[in-house]
Amino acid sequence: MAEGWPKKRRLLGTRVRRLDGPDKATGRAKYSFDINRKGMLHGAILRSPYAHAKIKSIDTTEAKKTPGLKALLIIGVARNGTITAIDGNTLTYKVATAAPKKKGPKKDEKPEEKKEETFNVEVTPGVTLISKNKVVKLSDLKVGDPVTIESEQAAVGRELFFAGDEIAAVAADTEEHAKDALKAIKIEYDPLDHFVHEDEVIKNPRKKTTPGPLQGNLDDTGKEFTKGDVAAGFDKSDATVEGTYGVPVISHQCLESHGLVAEWDQDGGLTVWCSTQATVSIAGALAGRFGIPPTKVKCITHYMGGGFGSKFSPGVWGFTAADLARRAGAPVKIMLDREEEITTAGNRPSASGTVKIAGNKDGTITAFAVDCRGTPGFAGGATVNLNLLPYIYLDAIPNIKRSHSVVLINAGQAQAMRAPGHPQNCVLTEFAVDDLAAKLGIDPLIIRRKNLPPNTKTKDAISWAARRNNVYNEQLDIATKLAGWQQKWHPPGMGKAGTVKHGIGMAIHTWGGFAAGGNTPNECHVIISRDGTATAQTSTQDLGTAQRTVTAIVVAEILGLTPTDVVTKIGESPFGFSSGSGGSTTCPSQAPAALLAAQAARDDLFKKVAPKVGADPTDLVIEVGKVVDAKNKKEWAWKEFCARLGMDEAKGKGEWSLAISNEPGNENISSGQVGGVQIAEVLVDSETGVVRAKHLVAVQDCGLVVNKLACESQVAGGVIMGLNYALFEEIIRDQQTGRQVNPDMEFYKLGGLADMPKITVHMMDMPERGVIGIGEPPTISTAAAVGNAVFNALGVRVPFIPLTPKRVLDALKKGGKA
Amino acid sequence: MKDSQGDPRGGVSRRGFLTGTGAAAAVAGLTGELAPPAPAQVNPASAPGAGPGAVRLELTVNGKPVNTSVEPRVTLLDALRNYLDVTGCKRVCDRGTCGACTVVLNGRTVYSCTMLALEARGADVKTAESLGMGRLDPVPAAFAENDAQQCGFCTPGFVVSMRAAFDKNPNATPEQIEAALCGNICRCGTYEQMRNAVVQLCRKGG
Repeated sequence: MAEGWPKKRRLLGTRVRRLDGPDKATGRAKYSFDINRKGMLHGAILRSPYAHAKIKSIDTTEAKKTPGLKALLIIGVARNGTITAIDGNTLTYKVATAAPKKKGPKKDEKPEEKKEETFNVEVTPGVTLISKNKVVKLSDLKVGDPVTIESEQAAVGRELFFAGDEIAAVAADTEEHAKDALKAIKIEYDPLDHFVHEDEVIKNPRKKTTPGPLQGNLDDTGKEFTKGDVAAGFDKSDATVEGTYGVPVISHQCLESHGLVAEWDQDGGLTVWCSTQATVSIAGALAGRFGIPPTKVKCITHYMGGGFGSKFSPGVWGFTAADLARRAGAPVKIMLDREEEITTAGNRPSASGTVKIAGNKDGTITAFAVDCRGTPGFAGGATVNLNLLPYIYLDAIPNIKRSHSVVLINAGQAQAMRAPGHPQNCVLTEFAVDDLAAKLGIDPLIIRRKNLPPNTKTKDAISWAARRNNVYNEQLDIATKLAGWQQKWHPPGMGKAGTVKHGIGMAIHTWGGFAAGGNTPNECHVIISRDGTATAQTSTQDLGTAQRTVTAIVVAEILGLTPTDVVTKIGESPFGFSSGSGGSTTCPSQAPAALLAAQAARDDLFKKVAPKVGADPTDLVIEVGKVVDAKNKKEWAWKEFCARLGMDEAKGKGEWSLAISNEPGNENISSGQVGGVQIAEVLVDSETGVVRAKHLVAVQDCGLVVNKLACESQVAGGVIMGLNYALFEEIIRDQQTGRQVNPDMEFYKLGGLADMPKITVHMMDMPERGVIGIGEPPTISTAAAVGNAVFNALGVRVPFIPLTPKRVLDALKKGGKA
Repeated sequence: MKDSQGDPRGGVSRRGFLTGTGAAAAVAGLTGELAPPAPAQVNPASAPGAGPGAVRLELTVNGKPVNTSVEPRVTLLDALRNYLDVTGCKRVCDRGTCGACTVVLNGRTVYSCTMLALEARGADVKTAESLGMGRLDPVPAAFAENDAQQCGFCTPGFVVSMRAAFDKNPNATPEQIEAALCGNICRCGTYEQMRNAVVQLCRKGG
């Protein structure tokens, strides 16, 4: 059993300024985008202008003559093989291939079965040969050599599935020259039919314009869920409402776009400065791709400009930059431009559907049925996560039914985005709950209290499950008080007369926030030097969550120092294992790892120095700035004590994971499951349709708060992202051209300072539950709360977000009380 | 993608937009309280006739005279970042919307992505780095103290805009400072903390 968090907290839970604040604010902090290496080239990618097309012809002859060009590659056609014969200019090679999977989703097929195929290629100027990560000539090769063959003409016939799909890439001495080279690549396309709207796919469900085993673009299988008897639940209720609600596809809009700088060294090692939320897995992915040991790849992410779930993989651009760098023998930078960022680097899937909900006058919900769909772009995947269920009310509602379709369209692929699936789910569920409350003629607060999940008696008393009902009720108490709910709520549409309507609405959410799962625990290393310096080292990355500062706070707390005394080295993959920053797992993994590392380093220090000062290590304790021998009433200043290390240093390693947190006695160190309640107050101009948020209240529990300042900032930031979702953000695509019409920051709207309401954040500190992640939960329920506030203002539901003036006016035309 | 061939949308590229409308477009990138263009501060003779090859560029950046050679199509932002390794100004939207590239040029804030580098020949340019040289300027200090930043990629742009607003009017009210920040966007959502920083700075007169 671990020692755990100190009973008396000196720094933990206080407001600590982030250590790198001044560096970031004055531009000194170097992000991946800011890395300029000596001799560095700029890469650029040629992309499909069509939503769906085949490459008819490709010719790079002219491009290769453009000034400053150093490398050119064709994407998606390289083959790794072994040479079986060389005859003049003709190379014969064999390739190990998996059995083809594309012939249909036959479950009894074994795609793992490997077979070999032999190919001949005439080595012309359009063919690139790579061996041992260097471009080679045919004369450099012999039979039996492994080789990568990239034939330009192999791109002919390649199918492109969205506007932005990658075709070729170049590296040149300047960005301007790289763009010139791209323009000089001659490509002809055969445009094919495309769908960029879900409605078009629904009309033509069996027409196929996307890759994969489906017969068409619609996957309507495998997402059914049933609990109880829904028909009976509807029959036995006092009221039933049915509504169609929806949320759009939105973009992560990371301000630092995706990308990296890649540099190969003389020994065949690769260093990348990558804007990522997963340094270790980036290094692993690149090592795998280029056939080198993971220890020879170093991923550096000292600072990164936002990820929100979209930056776990090197991406086509990252692999391409590293590939161009090996070919050019020089560092290459590829950072996506804004249009590329929005169209190709990920998005949050849409969701829309019909929700039928029934309940009784006392507020009990008797049945909930949802039939919905969403699109992740041209390919599905685990990141879609559209498990549209009424999460909060899952236990309370006796009868639930869900059907769900995934709609593939010719658009860039989704990536995880801050609480994948939950914001969509929250809008669809909470809109329906408020519509039911209105039909029943009751306060939405009553229906929520009535359907909260019950406490589970069998669980450990401090766990979420054992007390969630109490926590939610307390959060509702706090939130309604902070928002003035009792004074401000009125039946929908029944506020004061006037053009500008006042409304107030609420929504609630849940999230995990446990330590990271997986077999390898997160690591942190602490070293105490003889000059008293404590260095904390971890490969984890700081996405803006102040993770660097979290590490320093924890180490300083244990060693009696101040956070600025701790040298924190983070964001380099060789610094030990860390998991990707997803699922709000970073703080609950890394804070305990830092705790254990600091405690182990302290114990090592005591063990090494105690004999030199005539003390027993077990009598020693650390107080602020000093080491105290409580038994013998002696004390040493911290630096004086550390100086006795002599030539030695004290070291400690900490490891933490979900499995370790689940060991008995560790439940106070980190745990998971949180709840939150948000209340929005809005003003809606019924003549112009403009919605203005006036006040947003967020009440959030998150176990042991490490840094209150950063924690509150994280919650307020989540709320603002939710407000943007509610009012402004939407990827808009044109079916005619197949292109996104707003791949920018002008017509893809994000709120500015003038759009922001007052935000009140209340953290429920529950230190006995240990550290729980906070990155995702506060963004889940904001849009639902804002939408419900607009409903409360107008007395008519605006069913689709963002709640633009047009949508508001359209809803009012259909029967509002304007 | 904006430069790709066969663009069925026939989109307007930023370069095309810039080079097509010249200096008027460049000064339209002025931020702040809807300040009118200040053509006298830009050398109008610098753009016509130059190029297409690289042209010598001399200017003062954060008090230091610097020079390089850039093609006429290179923006001030790209010249600073790619040719002079001054990276406090960030490239985000690259078309005058988000404010991350904001710099002070001859005393006025400009979006450096919407101005050609050659139009800034001989100019005095200040980036966020100028506020961290020696003593930390009160504006970035207030951002750090109030935690008015998360990922921090937008922060230098906000800091430069705010510093310029206080320089213009040390007695500015929080409302006036907020108005001066309307040309900047933060994705992490640190506006609440920024407001705290603004209020604190207004009390101290910037």
